[in-house]
Amino acid sequence: MKYIHKSIFILFFSGLFALTGNELVMQMELKPNPNNAKANMNMTLKNKKGKIRTSTIHSIIKNNGEKQIIWFLSPADDKGIAFLKIEHEEKNDEMQIWLPAFKKTKRISSKKRSDSFMGSDMSYEDMSTRKKEHYNFNIIKSEKYNDIKCHVLESIPKKHIRSEYSKHHTWIDASLLIPLKENSYDKNDIILKEKTFSYIEINSFQILKEIHVKNIQKNHSTKLIFEKIKLNTDIDDNIFHERHLKYLPKL
Amino acid sequence: MKKLAIKFSIEKPKTTLLITLVITMILSSGLQFILMDDNIMNMLPKDTPSRKIWDNIVDEFQYSDFLFVAFGNKNKDVLTNENIKLIWDLTEKISNVPEVDEVISLATMKRIDGDEGFLEVNDLIPHRNLNQTQINNLSKYIDDNSIIKSRLLNNNKDFINIIIRPKKDANFPNMVSNIEKITMPYEKNIEFHYGGQPYIAGKVPGLIKIETMQLMSMGLIIMSIILLINLRSISSVLMILMLIFMSMLSMMGLLGWIFFLTGSPYFFFTFLNSSMPIVLLTIANSDGVHVLSRFFRESRKHKNVKKAITLTMEQLSLPIFLTSITTSAAFVTMTTSPIPAMTGYGISIAFGILWAWVLSCTLLPALINLKKWDFSKKALSQPSILENIINIFGKTILNHPKKILGSGIIIVTISALGIQYVNVEVNLINLFKSGNSIKESTYFLDEEMAGSMNLMIKVNEDLKDPNILNQMDEIQNFLQNIPIVNTTLSITDIIKEMHMKVMDNDEVFHTIPNNRQKITNLFTMYSLSGEPDDFESLVNYDYDTGLITTMMHTVSTNDIVILANKIQNFLNITTPNLNIEVSGLMMFLKDFVSMVVKSSITSILFSIIIILFIAWTFFRSFKFGMLSIIPLTCSIIVNFGLMGWFGIDLSHFTALLTSIIIGVGVDFSIHYISDFKHCINDIDITNKSMEVMKNVGYPILLDVFSNMGFAALIFSSLIPLIQMGGLMVFAMISTSIGTLTILASIMEINKQKL
Repeated sequence: MKYIHKSIFILFFSGLFALTGNELVMQMELKPNPNNAKANMNMTLKNKKGKIRTSTIHSIIKNNGEKQIIWFLSPADDKGIAFLKIEHEEKNDEMQIWLPAFKKTKRISSKKRSDSFMGSDMSYEDMSTRKKEHYNFNIIKSEKYNDIKCHVLESIPKKHIRSEYSKHHTWIDASLLIPLKENSYDKNDIILKEKTFSYIEINSFQILKEIHVKNIQKNHSTKLIFEKIKLNTDIDDNIFHERHLKYLPKL
Repeated sequence: MKKLAIKFSIEKPKTTLLITLVITMILSSGLQFILMDDNIMNMLPKDTPSRKIWDNIVDEFQYSDFLFVAFGNKNKDVLTNENIKLIWDLTEKISNVPEVDEVISLATMKRIDGDEGFLEVNDLIPHRNLNQTQINNLSKYIDDNSIIKSRLLNNNKDFINIIIRPKKDANFPNMVSNIEKITMPYEKNIEFHYGGQPYIAGKVPGLIKIETMQLMSMGLIIMSIILLINLRSISSVLMILMLIFMSMLSMMGLLGWIFFLTGSPYFFFTFLNSSMPIVLLTIANSDGVHVLSRFFRESRKHKNVKKAITLTMEQLSLPIFLTSITTSAAFVTMTTSPIPAMTGYGISIAFGILWAWVLSCTLLPALINLKKWDFSKKALSQPSILENIINIFGKTILNHPKKILGSGIIIVTISALGIQYVNVEVNLINLFKSGNSIKESTYFLDEEMAGSMNLMIKVNEDLKDPNILNQMDEIQNFLQNIPIVNTTLSITDIIKEMHMKVMDNDEVFHTIPNNRQKITNLFTMYSLSGEPDDFESLVNYDYDTGLITTMMHTVSTNDIVILANKIQNFLNITTPNLNIEVSGLMMFLKDFVSMVVKSSITSILFSIIIILFIAWTFFRSFKFGMLSIIPLTCSIIVNFGLMGWFGIDLSHFTALLTSIIIGVGVDFSIHYISDFKHCINDIDITNKSMEVMKNVGYPILLDVFSNMGFAALIFSSLIPLIQMGGLMVFAMISTSIGTLTILASIMEINKQKL
């Protein structure tokens, strides 16, 4: 109810005055998201010499990624390795990995936000939502990106926030309110990563179809392609449990 | 053409002066393009096996020859809160140096903890300010982890190491200077030591440059004084100095221009090139001394400047041309050397010699003609002390030619026997005297830390195959049992560490897992926490090539060759089916030794043959051609023989300086032979040798004495400069004595047949 009032208020005034960064972020936050999603993710890593590593992962997420379980499908050597993550507000996140060759489940420490996500160019910080209380948001300009009218949103982490970045510039589709491109700058204000996003519409949700991240300084890149996406299926909370790591689900 | 140029310079001295100055200025403007490079890795040709492997390693992995910065205070635990802050700060600051690719220190390393079903990969030092409990925990972790301890701490834990990986093609002098600027403020309270080939390569050129400049200036002052005492004319000395400086500037400028136009590494300025000014100086000085002293002799006879200079140039134009062309040709033969820097050296110095010849035939007569000479002055009216000495010396030699020749042959023969004992030393650190701060620092790093010499073994196999990994482990075990090896590192160490952690820290599992799936599980597990490039220096992206890095003490080149062969034998016998390639500084030095020896022999033989051919052609006599190479050949034999007898090492630097012997040796003999031939028709055959001795003996001796100032180089703290000074003195004395004794006595004995 509170959100509905806020959105009416924002929509009304955004027509009269220029949109602020915080208002834009609020509008994006208010957009509905699916409750859960299943997908196969093809991850391609490319190093500075053009060498490539690929892997395929089956992933199930719930509550905006609060709970996540993944299984490696390929390469053959990695098949069966599984990873479970459950985020908690009050205590450290739970993370466990199943190593089939050792027949062991290991608990892994909570990640640092700057750590790489599964050896890719994405860090856990890249994947987390930027909250208003942690960032200062400003719209620095409006311009077209790929012929789409965009707001360029600058996000600067507040002083008390540990971040590997000094700022982000994000090109946000002005009508769909989805990020299309983002440049992230290191602590010396030099561009570190360039990210591009493309989407597919499923059940009126704009769902990420492809993410391309390039670490400009290391000349290393990651491409994530999501396939076989299924939204809001009947996913039981019980699946996010250690015992399910050992068995690949039926795809 | 040559006669026209001489005539023009005598007739139009001011125009000549202007033209030569302008050309010199244009040439010397190339000085700004000179690029210093002293990376020993660049001194080997690209097709040398160890260089090829090295280039592959740099391309596939990263630059793997490190610079080390160790600090601490003796008998004080280095792991304190203050020192950890210092490590943190230095790591951050050094990482920002433009030439630095990566800094490996406690602040950048990861730790893997695993116990009771828990596994954690985290930063070894999570933040700058650690409390005592965290420091104790860190200290315990390091004690239990040999990979970190052997690389970053000494046994007493009172010194800590920061390992710096330079970027490929980094400018080492700039990198060293930038790093020293960072560490300098901390040196008041804490002891710092620096080492590694990039450090030496970055530091030595500057030191050599400063000491060469200082000692060369001293040498030039002494040279000027000796010239002044003998020539007794300030303007004459200034004329010679002008000739020397103009030739030197043109030569160095040309090196810069060629590098600017071609960008070729053959024209880098390496520390070898720092001997170029001294080599050219002796040759240009020789030209100037011959012209001026002959001019004085002719002036005494004719009391007419124009006539005296015309006669001087008529008599000397051929010998000076011949000495220049033969010496240049000798230096051009350096282009056949497999060492790239020798090409730029040879070409530039050959040009410098020819330009000195042009200036001797144009600038010098022009300057002489411009000067108002007073014939009543002693310089032009009376012979100098040296001229009187040479008369006495000449008589003694020429009265007993057979005895002199016999004694010469005996000395050369005895010396020749010493050649077999010549030791070749190409490791730069061994070219420093004991007590030198760079040498002491390197020894400290060798004794206390990981060491400064490396050996790289590239394994081109499936790095997920337990069998391959076990063989790599076996190689590492063998290497670690070699007394001078401090530590080895490869992906096997990481796998063993992870294996143990996954198996709840049970040391029984500090092994390579027994199947491939376990190994890939470990890598994937690590990737969930680590960065994609964490193993970049150990395995390539496809896990089909790995690197075993071995760090060891610096030893003599001789020991390196023995050790390298021992390692190669072990690899051939124990792992015959493993596709491996060996490189690194150790293998470089081994290859470099044979290259230096080969290069020296080839260059010397080529030079002598070319000189023989040129002298034969210009004197139109094979006999005179042969005679012209006798003094320098004898000098070379005596030089290497004495090095063997007295245990003086042959380095790439001294091998190169053999060219000084050839350069000055051939000049003296050509002047002698040329004058001998010139006198054939003029003088009674019985007095001929004596007259030649008077004509050329004096300038030869003056040349020798004036160059004795460079003996000042012997007082340098750097062995290469001592060798340069020593060799200068030796070359001058041996070749002049060779000419005025052996050559003179042979010609005196055979004067009827010549």
